[in-house]
Amino acid sequence: MTFPATPRSGFRAVVRGRNIKLTVVVVQSFDKDEVSEDRMIALRKRAEIDSKYLLTFVQKSSSDLKHSLNRLGSIVAELANTYYRDEGRRVKTCIEKKSFSSVDLNIRYCFKVAVYAEFRRDWGEALRFYEDAYRALREIIGTSTRLPAIQRLVEIKSVAEQLHFKASTILLHGGKIIEAIAWFRQHHAAYKKLIGAPEVIFLHWEWMSRQFLVFAELLETSSAVIPSNTSLPLVTKDNKPLTESEFNPAYYYQLAAHYLREKKCCLELALSASEAVAEIESSADSVIPSVYVGQFARLLEQGDALVMQNLTDAEYVLYALAEGKRFQDSFEIIALLKKSFESYSNLKAQRMASYCSCQMAREYFSVGKFDNAKELFDGVASLYRKEGWTTLLWDVLGYLRECSKRLGSVKDFIEYSLEMAALPISSGDEVQSPIHKGEYGPAGCASLPQRERIYSEVFGIMKGESGLTSNEGNVTLNVTPERPIRLEIDLVSPLRVAFLASVAFHDQVAKPGASIFFTLSLISQLPQPVEIDQLEVKFNQSECNFTIASAQKAPISATSIGKTGARVVTAPVLTVVTNKWLRLTYDVTSELSGKLECKSVIARLGPLFTICCQAESPASMNDLPLWKFEDHVETFPTRDPALAFSGQKFIQVDEPDPQVDLVLGASGPALVGERFMLPVTIVSKGHEIHSGELKINLVDARRGAALGSPREMEPISTDSLHVELLGVSRPDGDDEPQTGQDNIWKIQHSFGLLSVPFVNLGGSWSCKLEIKWHRPKPVMLYVSLGYLPTSNGSTIQKVHAHKSLQIEGKTAIMIGHRFMLPFRRNPLLLSKIKVAPNSNQSTTLALNETSILIVSAKNCTEVPLRLVSMSIEMDENDIGKSCTVRQRDESQKDHALLVPGEEFRKVFSVIPKIHSPNLAMGTVCFTWKRDSGLDKQSDSNITEAGIITRHKLPDVNVEMAPLVVSLECPPHTILGIPFTCYVKIQNQTEFLQEVKYLIADSQSFLLSGSHNDMVSVLPKSEHILGYKLVPLASGSQQLPRITVTAVRYSAELSLPQATSTVFVFPSEPHFKMGNLKEKVTEIVTTGA
Amino acid sequence: MGSTACFIIVSRNDIPIYEAEVGSAIKKEEATHQHQFILHAALDIVQDLAWTTSAMFLKAVDRFNDLVVSVYVTAGHTRLMLLHDSRNEDGIRSFFQEVHELYIKILLNPLYLPGSRITSSHFDTKVRALARKYL
Repeated sequence: MTFPATPRSGFRAVVRGRNIKLTVVVVQSFDKDEVSEDRMIALRKRAEIDSKYLLTFVQKSSSDLKHSLNRLGSIVAELANTYYRDEGRRVKTCIEKKSFSSVDLNIRYCFKVAVYAEFRRDWGEALRFYEDAYRALREIIGTSTRLPAIQRLVEIKSVAEQLHFKASTILLHGGKIIEAIAWFRQHHAAYKKLIGAPEVIFLHWEWMSRQFLVFAELLETSSAVIPSNTSLPLVTKDNKPLTESEFNPAYYYQLAAHYLREKKCCLELALSASEAVAEIESSADSVIPSVYVGQFARLLEQGDALVMQNLTDAEYVLYALAEGKRFQDSFEIIALLKKSFESYSNLKAQRMASYCSCQMAREYFSVGKFDNAKELFDGVASLYRKEGWTTLLWDVLGYLRECSKRLGSVKDFIEYSLEMAALPISSGDEVQSPIHKGEYGPAGCASLPQRERIYSEVFGIMKGESGLTSNEGNVTLNVTPERPIRLEIDLVSPLRVAFLASVAFHDQVAKPGASIFFTLSLISQLPQPVEIDQLEVKFNQSECNFTIASAQKAPISATSIGKTGARVVTAPVLTVVTNKWLRLTYDVTSELSGKLECKSVIARLGPLFTICCQAESPASMNDLPLWKFEDHVETFPTRDPALAFSGQKFIQVDEPDPQVDLVLGASGPALVGERFMLPVTIVSKGHEIHSGELKINLVDARRGAALGSPREMEPISTDSLHVELLGVSRPDGDDEPQTGQDNIWKIQHSFGLLSVPFVNLGGSWSCKLEIKWHRPKPVMLYVSLGYLPTSNGSTIQKVHAHKSLQIEGKTAIMIGHRFMLPFRRNPLLLSKIKVAPNSNQSTTLALNETSILIVSAKNCTEVPLRLVSMSIEMDENDIGKSCTVRQRDESQKDHALLVPGEEFRKVFSVIPKIHSPNLAMGTVCFTWKRDSGLDKQSDSNITEAGIITRHKLPDVNVEMAPLVVSLECPPHTILGIPFTCYVKIQNQTEFLQEVKYLIADSQSFLLSGSHNDMVSVLPKSEHILGYKLVPLASGSQQLPRITVTAVRYSAELSLPQATSTVFVFPSEPHFKMGNLKEKVTEIVTTGA
Repeated sequence: MGSTACFIIVSRNDIPIYEAEVGSAIKKEEATHQHQFILHAALDIVQDLAWTTSAMFLKAVDRFNDLVVSVYVTAGHTRLMLLHDSRNEDGIRSFFQEVHELYIKILLNPLYLPGSRITSSHFDTKVRALARKYL
């Protein structure tokens, strides 16, 4: 409250009486032009104010201006606060003293105090007094007589609304959401019964709706946090649980809409009751809301002045009706529901949302916006359909039916009607009584008679017998020949309940040209039998399509089939009875191989109506969602119950049988390394072969996978391939590939494709596949021939002949080797002493000593093999230097025949020349070929060189032997005749070697010479021990065992027992002894 | 006994398998479908609430105006839902418990396919008798 700086007399009296607070503001342009101190004091004294309420206000400087404004603001706020506190206190004392004349005044006082408290932001006090006022208001209901009854109630409610609004706002802004809701509940409970006079009930509903709307908006805009789910159950102070939805504004919007709807109904009723509509409009003009809350008055012009005149109740009712008429409640209701719907949708409360949208749709329906209604109802219906709430679905479908009727959409009307007629409702047989008419939607009560009524109505339309005129609009529903109706029923259509077609072929595969039997089954849940005029069955191969005509309606079918050549069969009866499969078994013939699938079944009912039903397989057929859990008899679509579980609506039609022989002439297993020849012969027996194609595929038999597809083959080197298709050789004289455009000749490692020339009827063609095994491995060979049986048609499908063969790849030759010491000679090898005898060490050979190497090759196959050659190849880098390997006997004949299981041995002598721990010995090369005795000539053509099997010899350890012991004695003697035997001990070192020797006695020989002694062998020399022996027994006898021990190495050396035998003849043999000595040596050598 | 009560059993796959108007007086202005609409909408709340508590009786989960929805969820997630306007919570609890027992007896019938509609007239009679007793 600012006061001009110019003091005026008399203002003080005014101020004092009304408890007005005063502040004096001296307004200056600049800070500099100060008002003198005296003048200020004088001013303060005149105004009688405290010094802090006198302030200077500087205008021009921005910083000062801000400062001044702040100061002014705080002073004014402070003064206002004081003022309202004082005022509030004053009024409060009035209340406390109860010094008021009427309750009305009490309410007003309470309100005043509360508002003042609100000004001071004393929320607690404000709330307390609003509540007091509210309570006081409750008391005057029914007691006050100040106004006529109707208007009085209106006024009370308006005041209550005001108070409630204030209280709720304070509670919600204080975050006391539970209290607010409890408060609202109490408010709602207190006033919902106060309906008032019957002619203005709509005012009550409007008021109720407004309460919910206001509270919803408050709740929506309040910052109060809704308690989370975990703290449930929430309980109000009076111990009544709160439900979760009560925290949601959507709930209140929904109820606001509900009450508004109530209001609309009542208003309509009231309007229709009051006849004097014209009068309403005329009289309502001058009525305006009065200055008091909830009161209305008539405004009268009396000269220049306007005079308020109180209304009578009758006048007020007229006014209210006129006001009510002005509003379009439906749109308000829809808007409210839409808010609620959106809120529920956001909360993912789908069912709540659909309830709202259902109500919205009803509202649209009632105002005639059928498009909007239909769209919403469709959404709702899909949810109820999914969840199987049939009665609700019935209701919604009833609306939809009505909507499409009004919109003139015959197809929709028929669809909804059929769905309704096929709903699983059988319980209610109650007749629709006229009293209950308002309760149900346009569909009426859900009952079986109603279903039947709908059914007959819709079939009347479909057959064109009767059109349906909707009484409200000018739309007529009928089916005309220009617009025939065609319904499509697919796998997810809700109309499956009305009409379902299942097709099951009796077999899974069929021969081309043969009759294929199948069962066509139809079922319907419509309440009455459906008569079908004809059924068209459509396949993916259009030649197979055919029509089933009903025998009774033959003339119609004859005329309506336009296409010529289509097959028509007649069935005695084509009537689908409720929940009973109509089973029809027919056959078709397909000439084309591949899949034959039944696509759809088209039922024709009357001339203008068709239902196109997508065919379903019984094996994968879903139950009817709504009928699934109903109590009704379930039967199988086919007579054979097994077929009902496994039947399919498609069948595989085979290719025509190939009339060609494909012969794979394999002879036994293949051998690793050879070029295995496999003759393939194609013999035509019933078909000529045109543009034939031979595909060859090699597949690993064990893994089942291809050895490599043609595309992947490129990066893989040939070495890693185990089996390889080398090529195909044409029949004799046709070796070079022909030059032709469509002549394919493609060979890859495991895949081959080649074209087969034309082969006459009865003719044949052959080729040979060359396959090489690199490793032993079983392989599946697949050969398939695709050809055309006639020359002209590209339309005719190819015929395929397949053949497969498993071929084992086997190792032909097993090569082994063995090293042996030289005959009767034993070098001391130090490495042999050191290690344990069984450890895996490479063979040790003595340097410069002749060792013997025996290489053996065994035929592992079941066929005879012919040896071509056997040799040892040294590695290129050290041939000849490191060691000498010589073939011992040149006389051995090559081209030896090896029968299965036979072993071939060859002896080599090895003299290592280099002292080395691992000396490469080279590789054994064994060259062989199959011995096919009969056609040696042709065989040698192909495998002229033979097949080389290689065997790498292991590296050997070569070291110098310090001592070598050798035995010299004749190979044979005669009983009783003495002979001499020498043991040579050779010292190859630079040191003196002390050697002990020991000779064990033998029973077979008489021995002369020292048994046991020690000798010293000089460096690089040898010591010879000589013995004279007389054989005492004949036969092959073991010489006395000589053990030599080298003291320096503490190693024992003895000659192998096998070599220290001698043959004793009983007497001088009488055969010629020409070359005997050599021969014996040879026998011993090879046999060892 | 309250003036309005609509009882419904909803199977675990949200399909109503039994429904009965068990109130003493069916209000004229309220369509029977209206009750089912409200009960169906309340399924949303039940769905959220059923997992927050181990109790089978969820008490009043939803209200529409004066009408309150009380729900009892069985271990097999079959929901017994009652739309009522009475405040007798103990009565409702007893009602639910006894209907649950009846429902279990129905389930024990080898010819009854769980989840299908309950058509037993014996069950219907018993439920209505229980409603008269408790509600």
